[in-house]
Amino acid sequence: MRRLLVFAGLVLLGAVSVPAALADNGGFTPVAPESPNAEGIRDSYLFVSIFVLAIFVLVEGLLIAFIVKYRRRKRPRFEDGAPIHGATKLEVLWTAIPVAILFLIGAFVFIELPGIKNIPSAGASGQLEITVTGRQFYWQYEYPNGVIAIDTMRAPAGVPVRLEVTAPDSDVIHSWWIPALGGKIDAIPGTVNETWFEVANPGTYTGQCAELCGVEHANMLASVEVLPEAEFAAWLDHRRAEQTAGEGELGKEEWEGVCAKCHGLSGEGGIAPRITGSIVLADPAAVEDLVRNGRRTMPAVGSGWTSEQVASLTSYLRESPPSGG
Amino acid sequence: MAARAETTPAWQRGKVASWLVTTDHKRIGILYISTALVFFVLAGLMSLVVRLQLSQANADIVSADRYNELVTIHGTAMVFLVVVPLLAGFANFLVPLMIGARDVAFPRLNALSYWLFFLGGSILMLSFFADGGAADTGWTAYPPLSTQAAGNGQDLWILSLHILSIASLAGAINFIVTIHNMRTRGMSWTRMPLFVWSILLYAWLLMAILPTLTAGLTLLLLDRGITLGPWDVQTNFFNPAEGGSPVLYQHAFWFFGHPEVYVIVLPAFGIISEVLPVFSRKPVFGYKAIAFSTVAIGFFSMIVWAHHLFTVGLPIPLQAYFMIASMIIAVPTGMKIFNWLATLWRGNISFDTPMLYALGFLSIFVMGGLTGIYLAAFPIDWQVHDTYFVVAHFHYTLFGGAMFAIFAGLFYWWPKMFGRCLDEKLGKWQFWTLFVGFNLAFFPQHLVGLEGMPRRIYTYSNESWEGYNLASTIGSYVMGIAILFFIVNIVRTSKSGPRIGNDPWQADTLEWYATSPPPPHNFDEVPYVTSARPLYDLRRKLRVERGAREPA
Repeated sequence: MRRLLVFAGLVLLGAVSVPAALADNGGFTPVAPESPNAEGIRDSYLFVSIFVLAIFVLVEGLLIAFIVKYRRRKRPRFEDGAPIHGATKLEVLWTAIPVAILFLIGAFVFIELPGIKNIPSAGASGQLEITVTGRQFYWQYEYPNGVIAIDTMRAPAGVPVRLEVTAPDSDVIHSWWIPALGGKIDAIPGTVNETWFEVANPGTYTGQCAELCGVEHANMLASVEVLPEAEFAAWLDHRRAEQTAGEGELGKEEWEGVCAKCHGLSGEGGIAPRITGSIVLADPAAVEDLVRNGRRTMPAVGSGWTSEQVASLTSYLRESPPSGG
Repeated sequence: MAARAETTPAWQRGKVASWLVTTDHKRIGILYISTALVFFVLAGLMSLVVRLQLSQANADIVSADRYNELVTIHGTAMVFLVVVPLLAGFANFLVPLMIGARDVAFPRLNALSYWLFFLGGSILMLSFFADGGAADTGWTAYPPLSTQAAGNGQDLWILSLHILSIASLAGAINFIVTIHNMRTRGMSWTRMPLFVWSILLYAWLLMAILPTLTAGLTLLLLDRGITLGPWDVQTNFFNPAEGGSPVLYQHAFWFFGHPEVYVIVLPAFGIISEVLPVFSRKPVFGYKAIAFSTVAIGFFSMIVWAHHLFTVGLPIPLQAYFMIASMIIAVPTGMKIFNWLATLWRGNISFDTPMLYALGFLSIFVMGGLTGIYLAAFPIDWQVHDTYFVVAHFHYTLFGGAMFAIFAGLFYWWPKMFGRCLDEKLGKWQFWTLFVGFNLAFFPQHLVGLEGMPRRIYTYSNESWEGYNLASTIGSYVMGIAILFFIVNIVRTSKSGPRIGNDPWQADTLEWYATSPPPPHNFDEVPYVTSARPLYDLRRKLRVERGAREPA
């Protein structure tokens, strides 16, 4: 029996440590936080872990100790153990101690909560508000000056960014989640939810939709590229000008984020038909009709798009038509 | 009884026909268990395909569509067609025997329950062949995704769950009436076996929550649109464009869905409370505390549902309430665990297969309970909700918890059900492969969830997730091997397993007073019950009498 226990222990240890060794931070704590709200969540996680580990060790330890100590050995199989029916003092003890622990955990969570939930008051450079719209199967970001971006969000470093997260009435529920920048919040048709982040270090932080939203749910990726403040301002101005002209980066983002997830990056087809060389692609009016209204199983991926958005896509398709593959 | 047997029409006496027309609670119990085991194998095979697809980044084993169908039907089947019916099977077989009754209160209703379950289950499994394939919106079927889903799979999914709800409801009524009215002489509430307590709560919970699920599903069906005679009905309960609310469905579903977890796990607790004392040769520690905690868990389970909705943007005070309520459940659950540990204390412990499973249950369930604390603390849930952390958590409670307890029960009561016991050696092989495979499959999922892997994705390109997923996949196939051991065990012992008598474990409860297997009427006579351990009392009385006759 003892040998079996040692064996089981080793296997458990292996199950824990092998995958842990394969990844850099091991996965024993949430992804390294880059925003104060994610930090508050990580701290709460660590605080809870103290008690979880202690209780785990206590219970498994007692279990193994009792298994070893009170095993039958050479006693007759059906000899009675100690005739103990219960103990009120013990019952009170193991009711009261968990209550106390849960009280502590609850209190800690409430202390951390304002830092997680509340958006910091605007600093010298104010606050940025971005509307995040979850759609099958892409993320659309709208900046205060009307600039639109798909899937990759750019944000300034050191500035609190407030996200208004929603989905069109005709769409389904999605969930916005960039692990390093805080918890997730659902993008629900007809509802506007709110979350935020404030990142000090420029860099790219990735995440993806966390609520099953259909066939391409797995490819509904999102990333946030945090730029130094001046660089961000330049990017925003540049995109404003491009968009007004109905050309530039947005068209490419739309092709990759909206069309290619189903039709393939070079239009070679995927869960949706091959569209390389389709005459529709060369006809801006036909493309507009298709994205605005959908056709058969293709959802109306561009319902509600501005004319600038549509123009960006058609001009992109004109300049760099998908080349097949 | 003999007279009745003669009036049975000839066509009903055949080997197959007698099972088709049976109203005997023991046969119905066995039908439930065997049907559910078939569904278990099917739903398990689905998960093996899913695991193969996830074993590597960018794998291409199944299409995205098919993957979503497999995940949906795996989840729905494991809950509605496997774990609940397995426990209903145990309840059917055991409750009348344990309370010294001849059958359940309504034997024909009982048979109807089983056949409705069979029908509902078959519809769900066959829906793979429907126009557009099976439902592919997850076992939770959130609208608008589920109202927009094309094809008939989603409609068949709703139909199947409607039928299964009626089956469960009829079964629940039967158990409640039986337990309240048909206990044998002397069996007061505090002398009732703890398994019967758990089934009583299971039944009351089902009565309380199933109507909400049925209502939610009916609204879903109407939102999808149906044709009633000359009218096309198309409602907008969950359609925001017409003033409906998709979140309303989530409330209805989880008002049912969370207590459903306890519908599953309470009877599993009940099995553990029967097995642990017998193999420790002690009375269960704190009988009243365990019975009370069963009632407490049942009650609190109905007021915690919105902890499944922490990311929909509920007002903070509401989230705070649901956190506190969810945490309260940890207290009676902890009570149970400590009482079980204390049952082992100073015992005379034997490690037969049922006991191995019970101890395996204890060691695994603790883990599932503890990870629940993270999920209850709502800011932490914002981070781990809908990730593999959650998948790991509920497999630790539902597989490591419920299925381990069910295997404990199968190995423990098998000789009572069939007169022959399962092979111990194969049973132990099965236990160790299952224990190792289980932990290898599900422990790494906590980690990859914290690393940011959401659930229900058919593929991923993040290569740092591969190691965890590969470990998980290997573990799941090791579990598959364990289940093969079980199937081999059943086949090999069906004709040649040793007959080990009416009371092989020297147990305490009344079912062991009947023969193995019990006759159709269960008992010729039932001893007067004077404690929660009637057979222990009986053995002691016999020993005293024998001692008086032939002094040592």
